[in-house]
Amino acid sequence: MQTLLTVLRHCVVSAALALAAPAALANAYEAHLPAEINTAPQLCDYAPCKDIFPNATSFSERKGRPFYVEAYAEADGKRKLLGYVVLSTDVTDLPAYSGKPVITLIGLDAEGRFAGVKILKHSEPILLLGIPESALIKFNDQYLGKFVGDNIQVGQSRPEENIIGLDAISGATVTVIAQNQVMMTAGAAVGRQVGILEPVVREQARFIERKHAPDWNALVEEGSIKRLVVTPEQVGLPRGSEPFIELWFGYLNQPDIGKAVLGASAWSNLMGRLKEGEHALFVVRTAGKESFKGSGFVRGGIYDRVQVRQDMDAFTFRDLDYYNLYSVAAPGAPAFSESGIFIIRSDSFSGAYPWKFVFLGNRVDRATGTRSFANFDADYWLQDTYLEGGRPHIVVPDAPWLRVWKTRAVEIGLFVALLIAVAAVYANRDRLTRASTRKNKWPVNAFKYTGWIISIGFVGFHLLAQPSITQVLTWFHALLFQWTWELFLTDPFIFLFWIFIIVTVFLWGRGLFCGWMCPFGSASELLYKIAGSIGLKRFQFKLSQRAHDRLKWLKYWVFFGLLAVSVFSMGLAEVLAEVEPFKTTFLVGVLNRNWPYGLFVAVLLGLSIFTERPFCKYLCPLGAALAMPSTFRWFGLRRKQECSTCHACAVGCGSLAIDKHGRIDHRECMLCLDCMVLYTDDRACPPLVKERKQREKAGLALTPIGEDGYYIPIKPVPARAAGSTR
Amino acid sequence: MSQDLTKPLDAQPDPGRRKFLNTAALVGLSGAGLSVGLSACKQDAPAPKAAAPAAAPAAAPVAEHANIHMKPGELDTYYGFWSGGHTGDFRVLGMPSGRELHRVPCFVPDALVGWGVTNESKAVMGTKPNGELQFTVGDTHHTHASYKDGNYDGRYAWINEKINARIARIRLDYFVCDKITKLPNVQGFHGIFPDKRDPVDPAINYTTRVFCGAEFHIPLPNNGTNADSMDAYRSLFSCVDAETMEVRWQVLIDGNCDLVATSYDGKLAATNQYNVENGMTYENMMSAERDACLFFNIARIEQAVKDGKFKTYGTSKVPVVDGTRASNTDPKTALTCTVTVPKNPHGVNASPDAKYFICAGKLSPTATVIELQKVLDWFDGKLADADKAIAAEVELGLGPLHTAFDGRGNAYTTLFLDSQIVKWNVAAAIKFHAGDANSQYVVDRLDVHYQPGHINASQSETIAADGKWLAVGCKFSKDRFLPIGPMHPENEQLVDISGDKMVHVADHPIRPEPHDFIIFKRDLLNPKKIYNLDDFPLAIKDPAQSGVFREGNKVTVKITSQAPAFSLREFKLKVGDEVTLILTNLDKIEDLTHGFAIPEYNVNFIVSPQETASVSFKADKPGVFWCYCTHFCHALHLEMRSRMIVEA
Repeated sequence: MQTLLTVLRHCVVSAALALAAPAALANAYEAHLPAEINTAPQLCDYAPCKDIFPNATSFSERKGRPFYVEAYAEADGKRKLLGYVVLSTDVTDLPAYSGKPVITLIGLDAEGRFAGVKILKHSEPILLLGIPESALIKFNDQYLGKFVGDNIQVGQSRPEENIIGLDAISGATVTVIAQNQVMMTAGAAVGRQVGILEPVVREQARFIERKHAPDWNALVEEGSIKRLVVTPEQVGLPRGSEPFIELWFGYLNQPDIGKAVLGASAWSNLMGRLKEGEHALFVVRTAGKESFKGSGFVRGGIYDRVQVRQDMDAFTFRDLDYYNLYSVAAPGAPAFSESGIFIIRSDSFSGAYPWKFVFLGNRVDRATGTRSFANFDADYWLQDTYLEGGRPHIVVPDAPWLRVWKTRAVEIGLFVALLIAVAAVYANRDRLTRASTRKNKWPVNAFKYTGWIISIGFVGFHLLAQPSITQVLTWFHALLFQWTWELFLTDPFIFLFWIFIIVTVFLWGRGLFCGWMCPFGSASELLYKIAGSIGLKRFQFKLSQRAHDRLKWLKYWVFFGLLAVSVFSMGLAEVLAEVEPFKTTFLVGVLNRNWPYGLFVAVLLGLSIFTERPFCKYLCPLGAALAMPSTFRWFGLRRKQECSTCHACAVGCGSLAIDKHGRIDHRECMLCLDCMVLYTDDRACPPLVKERKQREKAGLALTPIGEDGYYIPIKPVPARAAGSTR
Repeated sequence: MSQDLTKPLDAQPDPGRRKFLNTAALVGLSGAGLSVGLSACKQDAPAPKAAAPAAAPAAAPVAEHANIHMKPGELDTYYGFWSGGHTGDFRVLGMPSGRELHRVPCFVPDALVGWGVTNESKAVMGTKPNGELQFTVGDTHHTHASYKDGNYDGRYAWINEKINARIARIRLDYFVCDKITKLPNVQGFHGIFPDKRDPVDPAINYTTRVFCGAEFHIPLPNNGTNADSMDAYRSLFSCVDAETMEVRWQVLIDGNCDLVATSYDGKLAATNQYNVENGMTYENMMSAERDACLFFNIARIEQAVKDGKFKTYGTSKVPVVDGTRASNTDPKTALTCTVTVPKNPHGVNASPDAKYFICAGKLSPTATVIELQKVLDWFDGKLADADKAIAAEVELGLGPLHTAFDGRGNAYTTLFLDSQIVKWNVAAAIKFHAGDANSQYVVDRLDVHYQPGHINASQSETIAADGKWLAVGCKFSKDRFLPIGPMHPENEQLVDISGDKMVHVADHPIRPEPHDFIIFKRDLLNPKKIYNLDDFPLAIKDPAQSGVFREGNKVTVKITSQAPAFSLREFKLKVGDEVTLILTNLDKIEDLTHGFAIPEYNVNFIVSPQETASVSFKADKPGVFWCYCTHFCHALHLEMRSRMIVEA
């Protein structure tokens, strides 16, 4: 079975790749990297460091925390330091658009200027089949020669704020924002360690001694002692009831906390051994077998399993920074099996500011057995009451997603207004359909066509906010595995669009999105309408209802096919999702892609000239995905009793959504509202026409048409009951 | 032997208290954490009040005592400092496991560290004008550590050397001997004890003096002219400055000095005397029925020195004041006070409640409890008869030698002849001595194996005596270990004294021959992990400064070590060169010590991280000599070598 699946996968991949040929093949996409690249001391035996420093004759082992390597050149018998190379994932696992990191090898010269950047592996679908990988390489090239300590951001340069701008890749904003953060974080991590970047000096805390002798539980409750737990599954081990490791830690320089934890004499003893700007923290292990001390310090003198981070600064501990912690004085302290006091010897650390205690673990991939670094941390910030002047005000830099929202606030506002407007218009559809007649549908169409044009131009081409089946697949996976809001918030328009879609699907069915707001759908139908109006009507055709009813299931097969594939390989599913022409049409542009993609779009749009929305009706997996919940829409379109025999609407239904019994299939309906126009048109809707003629014959007044689609009866009150039984 | 002296428990005084203790111990076991000792004191009115703070730690769960075997990675809870006897060293043990952690060479060369080989250690040990060591044998008996506020402060420990009358100081940050002082005009330097605070200045609440007792009488001056003049035979009591290690003053006394004790208020020091007779043979020495405990009034002695009331002997410049009985008859001006103690007493120990000194009788089966306040009263002229300071003199068993305390009012005295430890209650003994014949002061007896000498309990010599562990140094092990020929190890036995009954929990063989020891809590020490480069004037701070520097035939070789290499892969000398080789270990990693051995030149020494040491020798043998690292340091340890080439 497994082999069969593999073979199948290979076939599909080959087919997909054949489709993607000739030159679109990305060479770093899901590239296979040797497992050792993450762990081997000789990083450069496995990573192409030579590409960063072609003149280097030797590279050091991984050193420092986080790791980096030094590049040396041999000249005249002397070894000269050329610069530093850092593997991005040694510093940060910040995910890009795909939810996985772009693994990048970054070089800094000895002065701290970016000397080279090489993407080793990425999982960005857009770089696979959308934007050529060269775009990201070009983006990265912008760093070369720039100083790591500069404020480099994606976007406009703003000299007055000392911001150096980088040109983004349109359509891959999230990727480049993430990439920028990786570049700057990794660069700074090295820069700080090797002295290129000045250490940040934080104002030292001035403690308030409350002399209140809290016990262990009080210390935990007030946050002066924090807990860090790592579960076995987090490090790739089988789930178990015991944590992999459970640690408690706290900051000892504050007198109340220090004395409570150590006892007064041991505390003053410890403080007596610290110099100005040195800090003590304690750690005890209450569960787990793994040591937090490890044995790395035996060989290299550095504890390789624990670390403290404050903002961008990482503080590691040497063997000389460790003292025995013999006992915890605070009443109620749990029994512990390992303990220690670590000293931070740097005045860039301040007890007044928040920091993280980091446990540096190894994650073992159970399938492949490969090990990767995995860091687990817990935040710590002394309480206001222990600090003179309370906690200092901290400006926390916005998360990448938040930055996107802020920079595009105006467009987001317009987009939200558009969505609300469309919903409002549709909510008032009765007024529009009543104002329309079969001959003159402009009251409806004026709004709808405006919606189309805005969604094609503004939503599609400008905002690139074409929803896609890949998002559905991503959610599906996120629901199954790990839901991260950041992943979805990074694209505000898609995010908002989906809120609109979900709400409207359950209110009215998928038609409001598909028929009114989908950029590609709009383009498709707009073409059909234009073609019809410029005299191509005689070439336009519909499939027979019979053929349609068979073909319409195809899109469900496409959807479930993609969903199934995505379980095995998200990457492959992303490739196969090219069945949607959206990326080519809007995100990347026909001209930027290889001809097969352009041809595919051309065929789809070409067909649209002759038949209404062929893609939407038969292929669109997103439509299929939205069609299913549309079954449960709250408000459907109206029907009359006569509809079961009268096929007037069905004949005119562009979506072929009205069956021979007159029922509307809301899974197929695009909410064009043509049938609703008819519903109140007393010159077009056969039952209504009949009633009008009867009234005219009888000389009765033509009362307004009621909600039920008939004239409001003019009979006296007692007769109303009879009328209602009709 | 003396089982008849053992009283059934129910016959012991104050059964209420004991039963309470039993209950409390159970409560402690269940983790409720009640303070056993503290509560006990409330019950036990006659018990000294000062025991209260010391007793508080007794609240720790009893389970902690149950296991003396440390699990892998588990650390001992106490340090033990042991004297090494005639190995001449100072030993550090982890307690209660009894594992030996370290031997600090002091008076005798040590091949491992190069003590007596390096110029630095030779300078501490003392050399003859030709540079050779003055002494290569030593006999250490007693070690005690520096105090602050009545507890150890982790600065220094001192140890005596009996053969050549020397005192060594051990720095407790590096655990090395940093000074050795020879006491002038003294033989048989035996007892030693640091003071606990200054007798006058209340701001000096820590050790500034170390008192040293001379056991053997020698003619003063001892110049070969007066061996037969019995009156010239004297013994001196010496005071050494704790910081400078210079001898501050000495006191000329009648009789000899055996062991030394000091009071917690800093005012008194005392030595027990087994030879008030000034006898030359043991028969003479045993002749008097009562010997003495001689008290020294420190403030008055120092005032006398200040006032110039001293003389000097021989070439020594140390002021010697007169502490003889004849010169100190007026208590109001007396420098010394004699309290008599029966028959060749051995050991004088200060109780942790700061009230009593206890002398054990040795040839008398008694212990004598001397109340310090009464001695001070005598000095003030308020007590006519110094012997009225004796609060109790009670029978314990045969051959009482040394006494330890549990901080709960009990004393533990070794009975050398009975091979026993007797646990007795001091307050009950005082009551008994006062005439209450029903006062049962003996609480418990325990057989030990065999013939115990020194005894000490955890924190016993501090105000924080915690009554958890008792160690006893048995002089004979006989059948207690696998036979190894005629010479036997000594047997250091460990006793759990946290309960009513003493529980013997372990035998530890130990290389002869420790005498005294102290046991104290591990958190009182803060040893450093590596040396400070700047502490060594000869330090080579940069490998680039290595090399061979020649001035005529005086050659200095400077080498640094960084695993796995010495900075010089080879160095060249000429036959006849007078070489000084300096080695700095530039490794900064904890525990990364390097050794340096030179074949054929009788050189080996080690340098710990950031330490510098030097050796001097004459290049008298031509050839190539592979100097190598003797202390395992690295995977390439065997490759860590340097060629010394001595050109003919």
